[in-house]
Amino acid sequence: MKTMTCPLNGVRNISEFVCGGEVRAMPDPASGTDAEWADYVFMENNKAGVVREWWCHTPTSFWFIAERDTVTDEVLRTYPAGDVFTARRDFDAPNEGGA
Amino acid sequence: MVRPVEYARRSFLHRRLAEHGAVFAEIAGAAVADHYGGVDGETVGAAQLALADLSPLPRIGFKGKNAINWLISQGIRGLQADNAVDLQYDGVRAARLAPTEGLVLCDLEAKSGTCARLADAWSLESAPLCFLVPRADSHYWFAVTGARAAEMFAKICGVDLRPDRFAEGAIAQTSVARNNAIIIRRDLGRTLAYDVLGDSASADYMWRCLLDAMAEFGGKPAGLSALRRLAAE
Amino acid sequence: MSAAPYRLPPHPGERIDRDRPVAFSFEGRTYEGLAGDTVASALAAHGVRVLSRSFKYRRPRGVLTMAGQDANTLVQLGDAPNVPADTLPIAQGLEVAGQNYTGSLARDWGSWIAYFGRFLPVGFYYKAFFRPKGIWRFWEPIVRGRAGLGRVDVKAHHRYYDKAYAWHDVAVIGGGPAGMAAALEAARAGADVLLVEENPFLGGSLAYARADAEGELALRRLTQLSGAVRSAGVRVMTGAMCQGVFGENWLSVIQGDRMHKVRAREIVLATGSVEQPAIFRNNDLPGIMQGSAAQRLIRLYGVRPGKRAVVVAANSDGYGVALDLLDAGVEVAALLDLRAAPRSCARSEAARQRGVRVVPRYAPWEGVIGKDGSVAGLRIARIVGHGRCDASDETIDCDLICMSIGYAPSAQLLHHAGGKAAYDKASATFTIRGVPPHMAVAGSMDGAYEIEAAMADGRRAGWDAVTRLGKSAEEPPMASKGGAGWNHPWPVFPHPDGKDFVDYDEDLQVSDIRNAIAEGYDHIELLKRYSTAGMGPSQGRHTALTLARLAAEATGRDIEIVGATTVRPPVSGEKFGHLAGRGFEPVRLTAMHHRHVEAGAQMMPAGLWLRPAYYGTADKRAEAIRAEAAAVREGVGLIDVSTLGGFDVRGPDAAELLNRLYTFNYKNQQVGRARYALMCDQTGAIIDDGVAARFHDQHFYVTATTGGADRVYQSMLWWNAQWRLDVDVTSLTAAYAGVNIAGPHARATLAKLCKDVDLSAEAFPYMGVRMGTVAGIPTRLLRVGFVGELGYELHVPASQGEALWDALLYAGREFGIRPFGVEAQRLLRLEKGHIIVGQDSDGETHPYMADMGWAIAKKKPFFVGSRAIAAQMKRPLPRKLVGFALTNPLDPIPEECHLVVRDGAIVGRVTSAAYSDSLRRIIGLAFVAPDQAVPGSRFMVKLGEKKLIEAEVLKLPFYDPDGKRQEM
Repeated sequence: MKTMTCPLNGVRNISEFVCGGEVRAMPDPASGTDAEWADYVFMENNKAGVVREWWCHTPTSFWFIAERDTVTDEVLRTYPAGDVFTARRDFDAPNEGGA
Repeated sequence: MVRPVEYARRSFLHRRLAEHGAVFAEIAGAAVADHYGGVDGETVGAAQLALADLSPLPRIGFKGKNAINWLISQGIRGLQADNAVDLQYDGVRAARLAPTEGLVLCDLEAKSGTCARLADAWSLESAPLCFLVPRADSHYWFAVTGARAAEMFAKICGVDLRPDRFAEGAIAQTSVARNNAIIIRRDLGRTLAYDVLGDSASADYMWRCLLDAMAEFGGKPAGLSALRRLAAE
Repeated sequence: MSAAPYRLPPHPGERIDRDRPVAFSFEGRTYEGLAGDTVASALAAHGVRVLSRSFKYRRPRGVLTMAGQDANTLVQLGDAPNVPADTLPIAQGLEVAGQNYTGSLARDWGSWIAYFGRFLPVGFYYKAFFRPKGIWRFWEPIVRGRAGLGRVDVKAHHRYYDKAYAWHDVAVIGGGPAGMAAALEAARAGADVLLVEENPFLGGSLAYARADAEGELALRRLTQLSGAVRSAGVRVMTGAMCQGVFGENWLSVIQGDRMHKVRAREIVLATGSVEQPAIFRNNDLPGIMQGSAAQRLIRLYGVRPGKRAVVVAANSDGYGVALDLLDAGVEVAALLDLRAAPRSCARSEAARQRGVRVVPRYAPWEGVIGKDGSVAGLRIARIVGHGRCDASDETIDCDLICMSIGYAPSAQLLHHAGGKAAYDKASATFTIRGVPPHMAVAGSMDGAYEIEAAMADGRRAGWDAVTRLGKSAEEPPMASKGGAGWNHPWPVFPHPDGKDFVDYDEDLQVSDIRNAIAEGYDHIELLKRYSTAGMGPSQGRHTALTLARLAAEATGRDIEIVGATTVRPPVSGEKFGHLAGRGFEPVRLTAMHHRHVEAGAQMMPAGLWLRPAYYGTADKRAEAIRAEAAAVREGVGLIDVSTLGGFDVRGPDAAELLNRLYTFNYKNQQVGRARYALMCDQTGAIIDDGVAARFHDQHFYVTATTGGADRVYQSMLWWNAQWRLDVDVTSLTAAYAGVNIAGPHARATLAKLCKDVDLSAEAFPYMGVRMGTVAGIPTRLLRVGFVGELGYELHVPASQGEALWDALLYAGREFGIRPFGVEAQRLLRLEKGHIIVGQDSDGETHPYMADMGWAIAKKKPFFVGSRAIAAQMKRPLPRKLVGFALTNPLDPIPEECHLVVRDGAIVGRVTSAAYSDSLRRIIGLAFVAPDQAVPGSRFMVKLGEKKLIEAEVLKLPFYDPDGKRQEM
């Protein structure tokens, strides 16, 4: 069994984790087109190479981000989600439009 | 004779304990399994391998961005590192489970009023971004004691808990027998021991799993008295 | 029982206990062996040679390896088929039977098949039974009756298997000279070392082989090494089979009924090598075995393997075998040396001096079949070329033929880990070509055949491992490895009449392999699959080398390019029990669980939970459900809702988080009020529902469905990991027990126990929430309900849930209170038209499709799924959820997923249906075409092939449409 390093709990068997899919930016609900949303909701990049993925350490429900090479299945790096998502996200009201 | 059903607060598996022949004693407004047979023999057994239910004992948790700071402001010591426990002056132990989560476990005598004091001191207004978590209800609390404990754990837990790899005061939040659990190394006197806390609804399941895993080493249920004796050794 | 005529006098190093006789039976006859014997060795001591019948031709088979590496000795042990008799220890009363025969093992009625061998060509199954059409129906029972190995007892009792983790700095696989030396070196450098040995004792070849003319070196080294290993603190696991190496040095080791899952920072493979058979006609007869098998019989078990032997040799070890045979009192009629000019060594000189007739450049040409089906002689022939011989000019009478012509490395584990082995012409066998990181190989698998070389190689590998661990140790010298002289490059002597077996398990002859190649299956992997060579229990241990040689010869390609087939775990047969292990089945119990059981509830699984379906015996199911439903409608009922998910959402952004996760508006929700909470995923599909109770400006208590709780919790945390709102989500699912007390007398019952909350309709209206005390227990009271009557959900600390339950039942006695189960609740909620997420919705149901547009706040900037719902609402709805009742009261109750059809086309389906006592009709929920969704319109439900029933759309809810009862 593979192992993974949880930024909170250290090295654990991969069976303690679940993958939450690729880290992707959500389009702006106010300004994003239907096509952009359809792409965001239904399509995966499925890249061969290093990808950023959401992983959750299930015993602690701790979500973090892993950089994984999908070709070698090697986990290169893991870090807390806060390293990427540094600022609070807010949404504009729909009738006001958005940038 | 103390009976668990005389109290509103009951261990999650008081019937199971009674089936094992538990003799209960009152502690913190509930009935705890004090012993099952002779305390002397149980103490000897617990030095090898035993399982105890501490679920009626007080414990409390706090979560949120400000949880650790608030606990420190309430006089709790330590809490400087994740997944580590700090012993307090009154025998209470405080664990930092995450930068945003603390857990306070009372002493075996349940003499300290720290858990109740923290509960009283806390409110949404007085402790911004710090939130009380009822760990006495969300989690069962077992103790696994004895020299064979790590060997037993190796059958049901994927984390290496051998005493030379898992130090006193260390915490593993992991999976035990396919159930999430918090394992804390907490030796009793000279005896290797671990606290195990997990989903209170799974208490009966986990109790059975642990006893099953213990069977080959002769592990049995032990009461709080035997644990106190070990702690005093 | 009789004396064992082939048992030798005691000698040092034997593994049997002469003082402990053990009786067991084979094929119904009782034999006496000695403790430490295997079934095969004990039978050999009695001269029993036929242990099984072969898979295809039903040829009698006997000992080949004495190492559990082949299918020849597979026997049936009670309900366990395919147990290797050559490693299975005997035990008092053990009952063993042979396999793959009809009638008796000695006279198999099915062995006629061998005479038709030429009609069973390679690829037989791919070619036969196709024509004429339907002929398979005739052949199938016959083929099935003969196919497979052994018998599976489908009624076998469940046995207790389990698993255990282990962690070590260094794991050494193989307890022979190299493995022990490696373990010792690593342990002495301070590493935590595990040594895994498949035999019940350490030693590997040291325990049975003859390394010197005198025959004492191996045992001396064994004593030294094993003693040192144990005193160095190495954890020694004997009788333990390492079945596979997986990612990041994760080893599966099976010992007894336990699978050890070992994580090692470094691995040393010292798994040795497998002696190879010579290929000649009738090379499969009982009595023809590897030289090492004869030595194991002699040295480990004190059994004389025969009376008169021929040794077929191509290396020095063959001469050691001859010497061992002589010492065991076996007459050595001849030693054929395949080599043209055999090299002289101490053992060959000793053999000559003891009068062994050495016949160089002679091949075994044909085994002579004796009366009992085992070997009675060997026709020999002079080798004149590559696998070619002169006409046979001599027959030697013998009852034992020992083959010592070469080795192939046991490199399975190396292959699992991604290492490589390839044919090497110089050493005429597979050699290791690539070793993955954090792994080392040592011993004969690494080409170090001599004992001292193997030990030196092992030391070096152990040193390698600890050096990589960062420990300092003195560097041992390199071992002398490899070199020619151990393996014959072409020990294959095809016979015009065949039965020259390349693969014993699958009864494959040289011609089968050649024919397969001629048919075009000339790639080694295709050749394996088409011919099935190497696919039996031996897994190619004795076949791969010959297969590569034949493929290279037939295709004219270089043997180093032909390569070998892929090797996958497990190394040897393993049981499903080992894989399944202890079989943990977590189950969650509510605080009131035992009260339900005491009350006679039928418990049903709900996720990991157990919930009461109804209270009563199974034969009175319908009555029980009706009575429970009636109690709620007319009196008061109590249901355990502890399994619902519960979350405290707290902090300045609590309302903001809910606003984004659920469809309603929560920002304008008043403190003290509850609001329905409907959750969608990003595609807009409904995934969960519950209520959000606001107890404080910064505190919501949100419930979720039993099955959805864990997912909802994880998704809340996931979203906020991105949004970084000032809010905390705490799961209280297990922390809070919950009951729903419902019915016209609910208030009166509760009032007896709750004094600190004004329960009047004005002070505590429908959808109100309060904190209070019930029966002295701190309680969150939610005036919500699923069943449509006056009711309260009471959420209390789990440790006090049982006390609350008891108190409510006691307080409600005067009103005839009774507990109700999930079944009654499902009926009651159906009468109210409430959906159950996952039953009345599916992965494509958005809120408008479920007619729940009322649950969507239109002016919010965003909620999860809002954008997808908006996009879908630009098109017409494809279907809509409606309430219906059957128009004919005599029609049967439709089932979930019965189709709604119109003009032969499917337009929807039934999602729920039941008979309602309150309405005296069969009611339900169904997806229908949008134009059918108007109350009063009718649609057809297809029940079976032909049966259509009519239903009428009704306005929801069916029961108490104005909600007067729940709001009273």
